[in-house]
Amino acid sequence: MNKRLALLVAAVMVLTLFITGCGKTSKSSGDKATAPIKIGHIVHMTGSAVEAGGEEKNGAILAVEEINAAGGINGRKLILVQEDGQSSNVGVVQAFHKLLEDKDIAVIIGPSPSTQIAAMLPTINDAKIPVATGGTNYGLTHSGCQWLFRFRPHDGMSAQAMASFMVNDLKQKKVAIVHSTDAFGNGGRDLAVAALKKLGVTPVLDLGYNNDEKDFTAVINALKKSGATGMITYMTFSPDVGILAKQIKQQGLKINWIGSASVTATPARQLAGEALYGTYAVADYHPDANDKAKKFADAYKAKFGKDPDFYSSWTYDAVYVFAEAMKKAPDLKPESIRQALLNIRGFQGAEGIYNFDQNGDGLDQYNVVQNVNDVIKLVKTIKAQR
Amino acid sequence: MSTLSLIGQILFAGLAIGGVYTLVALGIVLIYRATNVVNFAQGDFTMLGAYVLFALSNGEKINFFVAFLLALVVMAVLGLLFELGVYYPLRNRSFLPVVIATIGASIMFQNGALAIFGPMPQKVRPVIYASGNGGITLGGVFFDYQYIVILVVTLALVLLQYLFFEYTVLGKKMQATSQDKDMARMLGIPVSIMIALTYIYSTVIGGLSGMLVAPIFFVTHKMGVMLGLKAFAATICGGFGDVRGAILGGLALGVIESFGAAFISTVYKDAFSLLLLLLFLLIRPQGIFGEKVAEKA
Repeated sequence: MNKRLALLVAAVMVLTLFITGCGKTSKSSGDKATAPIKIGHIVHMTGSAVEAGGEEKNGAILAVEEINAAGGINGRKLILVQEDGQSSNVGVVQAFHKLLEDKDIAVIIGPSPSTQIAAMLPTINDAKIPVATGGTNYGLTHSGCQWLFRFRPHDGMSAQAMASFMVNDLKQKKVAIVHSTDAFGNGGRDLAVAALKKLGVTPVLDLGYNNDEKDFTAVINALKKSGATGMITYMTFSPDVGILAKQIKQQGLKINWIGSASVTATPARQLAGEALYGTYAVADYHPDANDKAKKFADAYKAKFGKDPDFYSSWTYDAVYVFAEAMKKAPDLKPESIRQALLNIRGFQGAEGIYNFDQNGDGLDQYNVVQNVNDVIKLVKTIKAQR
Repeated sequence: MSTLSLIGQILFAGLAIGGVYTLVALGIVLIYRATNVVNFAQGDFTMLGAYVLFALSNGEKINFFVAFLLALVVMAVLGLLFELGVYYPLRNRSFLPVVIATIGASIMFQNGALAIFGPMPQKVRPVIYASGNGGITLGGVFFDYQYIVILVVTLALVLLQYLFFEYTVLGKKMQATSQDKDMARMLGIPVSIMIALTYIYSTVIGGLSGMLVAPIFFVTHKMGVMLGLKAFAATICGGFGDVRGAILGGLALGVIESFGAAFISTVYKDAFSLLLLLLFLLIRPQGIFGEKVAEKA
């Protein structure tokens, strides 16, 4: 190819790019009143969190379909724009940047793991766009970020619920805390100690273990020696719960057990079987907790052929609450949506009733559930202090 | 609970987990002896074995023990493919490309398992199917049947392996290959076949260890990572390339971890094995039974 021809080809290519590029922008800015509203969603499609990611995706898809079927937002349809968070801190920040590139995206639903949200926080502050999260670490919404909205109760509330149920309902005063040694477990331990202290109880044992532990003999021995009659757990991975439960039963330890959500998670129950019968856990989502939760469970089962869990319920709620805010807001500027979110009062979601405070925390209640022969029964709902 | 039964429980847990480390370590040692390759995918063979058993026994369409034997056969085939795909094309290069290839294989195995079986942990039934706790309590110490099976299988394998290498022609040929490939070739030993057999055997015992721990650890795509690391530590402490070292190192590591967790700290449980590794590297880098590096070269 001679030089001039090559130049010509290059010029044509640049021009085409330019023209098509221009075409796109003029189109999207043209019919704003009827154009669909985009919701960005960071979903883990690869890596270790794909299962939770799939649930989160399903919950959001279901809500978007329902809202669109009911007429959308003031006549405008919702569409989800999904980006892979790759189950990692780096991945979610990259996905977030990618979503920010699309200026039509009004709000973004972030991932659940607290560390990933922590990694995103500086970018969220700069981007000034409402971001939803299912991360339960207390500090996330108490770090001064005005743009983060939490759709699950935080760990301080689960600690209060567990401590209150252990001391007031199960009447146990010799309480041990067993926790994984990551941010979630250590953070939970601190909050549980504080919550117990308010009820006048000092834990008889506070024991950490590393994630992916395969043998809990040492933990069980320590529990036996401490004489604890009640145990509060913050365990990150449900297979660990399965192993601990099996070994507690095998080594003949009888103890009242209430733990974070992993205790009732499906993998733990499948792995431990009857070793987990009778244990309690806190759960932000339970189908019997309210009518909306029941309706959500039915619709989810009809569409996806399985029962929903808290991963799907919080993204379902996030889409609904965002939609409600966008309906109420005078326009779709980030600041207008933010104000509308903060003004939401008494909005019934599948997880509970949303009242956002200045920190961005929407919920303030936790369900206590019990594993009754592998069926998770709702025991009571405990209202917590924010 | 008496102190004696408490110590008994900790000792049993340590020995049992040490038995698992030993099985994985044996595979590492055999491949290293035969080909001078440190196989970083050995831990993942346990994961693959567990998944193969899960895939074959899930739904109980075939008898569990038939499935168990079939899984061993599948592992043997996988071992041959591993040798042909990872070691054979690079056999005339230095050891580094092969080692890196095993790391690549490890990543591929883990993500392949994730893609096929998903992230949900799976359950496999224990070898001895008993209702209730799946074990027996004697003198205040709980003995998990599966752990007993692991210890018995480890001991039996070690014994069989010893007899095989010392008293059979094939075993001697494999030993000769591992000691000096060129000399073995000159004596008419088919070196390539011997090496392939070593890989097959190592993959099978790696897979076997996975099938045995599956009911206790549960099957996940990452289950081999920690096992592989601990087994490396065990082989280094025992003396890299020494079968006795792998056995002693594995069992010792399990017991030290178990007692360390019970009497010092549960949080630093994993650190004890690494501390032991560090001590050995500093004080006796050739391990308990190890030969001096100079002799090997």
